[in-house]
Amino acid sequence: MSPIHDQSYRRYQGTRLPLGRSWTVIAGAGIRGMFARKLFLILLVLAWIPFIVRAVQIYAVTMYPQAGQILPIDASLFRDFIEQQSIFVFFISIYVGSGLIANDRRANALQIYLSKPLLRTEYIAGKLAVLLFFLASVTLLPALMLVFVEVGFAAGFGLHAANPQIVPAIILSSAIRITVASFAMLALSSLSKSTRYVAVLYTGVIFFTEAMYGVLTFITGTTAVAWVSLGANLDQVSDALFRQPAGYDTPLVVSAFVLVGLVILSVSVLERRVRGVEIVS
Amino acid sequence: MKPKTPGLWYGAMRVFDVSLAEMLWSRRTVFMALVVGLPVLLSVVVRGLVELGAPIRAMGGAASGPVVFGLMIWVFFIRFSVPVLAVFYGTSLIADEVEDKTITYLFSRPIPRGAVLLGKYVAYLVCTVFVVLPAIVLVWLLVVPIEGSLGAGFTGLLTDLGLVALGLTVYGALFALAGAVLKRPLLIGLIFVFGWENFVLLLPGSLKYFSVAYYLQGLVPHTMPGGTAMSLIQSIVRDVPSLAESLVYLGLIEALCLWLAMRAVTNREYVLEQ
Amino acid sequence: MSDVIFEAEHLSKWYGQVIGLNDVTVSVPPGITGLLGPNGAGKSTFMKLITGQLKPSKGSVRVLGEPIWGNQDLFFRIGFCPEQDAFYDRMTGFEWVTALVRLNGLDDAAARAAAERALTAVDLMDAAHKRIGAYSKGMRQRVKLAQSLVHDPDLLILDEPLSGMDPLGRRKTIRMIRDWAKQGKSLLVSSHILHEIESMTANILLINNGRILAEGNVHQIRDLIDEHPHTVYVRTDDPRGLARAFLARADVISLRLEPGAVVVETGKPDEFYTSLTELVASGAAGTVEEVTSPDDNLQAVFKYLVKS
Repeated sequence: MSPIHDQSYRRYQGTRLPLGRSWTVIAGAGIRGMFARKLFLILLVLAWIPFIVRAVQIYAVTMYPQAGQILPIDASLFRDFIEQQSIFVFFISIYVGSGLIANDRRANALQIYLSKPLLRTEYIAGKLAVLLFFLASVTLLPALMLVFVEVGFAAGFGLHAANPQIVPAIILSSAIRITVASFAMLALSSLSKSTRYVAVLYTGVIFFTEAMYGVLTFITGTTAVAWVSLGANLDQVSDALFRQPAGYDTPLVVSAFVLVGLVILSVSVLERRVRGVEIVS
Repeated sequence: MKPKTPGLWYGAMRVFDVSLAEMLWSRRTVFMALVVGLPVLLSVVVRGLVELGAPIRAMGGAASGPVVFGLMIWVFFIRFSVPVLAVFYGTSLIADEVEDKTITYLFSRPIPRGAVLLGKYVAYLVCTVFVVLPAIVLVWLLVVPIEGSLGAGFTGLLTDLGLVALGLTVYGALFALAGAVLKRPLLIGLIFVFGWENFVLLLPGSLKYFSVAYYLQGLVPHTMPGGTAMSLIQSIVRDVPSLAESLVYLGLIEALCLWLAMRAVTNREYVLEQ
Repeated sequence: MSDVIFEAEHLSKWYGQVIGLNDVTVSVPPGITGLLGPNGAGKSTFMKLITGQLKPSKGSVRVLGEPIWGNQDLFFRIGFCPEQDAFYDRMTGFEWVTALVRLNGLDDAAARAAAERALTAVDLMDAAHKRIGAYSKGMRQRVKLAQSLVHDPDLLILDEPLSGMDPLGRRKTIRMIRDWAKQGKSLLVSSHILHEIESMTANILLINNGRILAEGNVHQIRDLIDEHPHTVYVRTDDPRGLARAFLARADVISLRLEPGAVVVETGKPDEFYTSLTELVASGAAGTVEEVTSPDDNLQAVFKYLVKS
């Protein structure tokens, strides 16, 4: 071997991730990037305040059972908790999600991403994972922690033995909420290069449908029109999962259909918008 | 060629000339058209259903067109479209120029920097007023004739139009200030409108004085005739300011926010993204 | 016009922990001045400070005798062509330049006339009524130049004005810049392309790592760089004979033989040239066909100062 070592370029000799795992790189980078922002960390901390309030409620009812008449500990507590977290789902979706694809479009980074051995599906999966991670951290995670708190204070599984649907309902209800929110936000993010525009579009979708439901209910005198409201559909499905009385007259099937339809619409938007090249007609 | 030194208003009007076309023919206007178009579409549907014989039922009893119109004005326009459009446009008056890197051209001209903000604010007002107000008129024409009279409701319409225009003006100034001062004005604007204002309006005490919606609603009962939707809403909201108080405070908020926003733009340095 | 176009005194600018400009004190005279430096040297920061886009963190900057920050009136006399490729793409070039010059207080008719003159000066009148969004990169650069000179300023500040232009466009623009200087305007032109600056002016400001390395005439600066001897290239029919004659001289530090030539390094160029002339005149060195100094230029100055 020559005593003078070769200083020229050498190809990478290490191991490579198998194909189809590149989405973890995108997800990891996105998650680390968000954790570096102080304002976002404050928002995350604020999102856990309702958990503390509910934990105190559980403690109070455990210590003073008569308080349970005003603040009952049953399946509705967990269902209400998840519904109350939807405001944080909204804000975190906007903070995290509005720039996920819009920023890449603005920086012309989509072409760079998709010129690598990276499938479009992996790119979308990576971006989706970022949003799902943070939304789960303010819905599913605190709700499950609340279950542990309840079991700990009650020193037993009595509530869950009587209501076995609670834990699966928490998981499913959270999963549905964050999946619908994530897909919708990601689809909107792929439509524009401006995070501001995306954020306002998302706000419009959420609150306008609420306003429309309010007016239609007033006009028709029935809550069967709740299917126009995204929030109402999610609540309807949650009620069914937790085996609670339905809050609206809309059939469950219709609500589920609307949610699935929204996800399918979002996927089709993503399929058209996330491309390495622009197709000019 | 000895041009006179352009003053604040002159500079603002020249910036207005440049900005109006950019604002009107941008994709934002598509969004704005959607936001105000959907209530119009809803009105068409409601009118269509009524023409086909379906009754309007409000809270268990029959309702008339003017009642529904009043509710739509409050729910769709004053509590949704106006603040959302104001957040959307107001927070981005300067931010858009910074993001597009065209701010340099405006700041390297011999006009006060505040004139740039003022001109763009006026362009926002013109843009939104001339899209939102016609939509309201359309809704009025479609809905009010349902067991109501266009003639009887005309004065109310004019006042509603004034109310919406005033809302756009004041919210726009508030969010122009947010855009000039804050790093994340859009998120904070949305939290203000859909978090803070919704929250404080329902609380007793003085927190509600720190909202724009409180003073706007003070203009509503004085403009709507009794027995209408507004009186229904009034029954929910207990404390309503007087007309004079509302106008004074709204004027103060408008003037103060605009002045502060212009000062902020004058003193702030904008580092463009490389 | 005064002797100083703009001056900075202990001017510093930092962005958080990053120093953009570090204790710069400089006075720039009228005429064309080239602001040179590698990428990230601080050229754009310096440009933005002297055009009032940024506020100094420390020190002061005066343009045309007045502080620039918050002094919008100065922009009657300053025209700025920024580096970024950003426009209102929906407007035509004519509309855009007219709209901007109206911000200088001109009425409609005067603004149109001024816009026409400016667009003619940059050779863009043919495409003036096309949308800027449809312009080529070179046309976009030219319309940017047009907006900077439309109000006939005394001082033009051009940040990378030749960026993205084809060679013909560059030549035309360099010629325009020289013509503007002949009309009495002062210009500050920034670039990292040395030969372009060299073709416009010999007066430079050299910046690197946020500090001014040198200011003034490029040849004078070269002479002052003691630690880098001058290189002289002598083409002759008898390189070895000439080399033997040079070796006897104390002012020759080193020499190198090339086919048909001798390359000499000397620390005393004036003495060397004098002795070379005597040598050639005496006929003792054979025939000398060419004498050049490859490093008496901006590139050499840049290389020696920036890399050292």
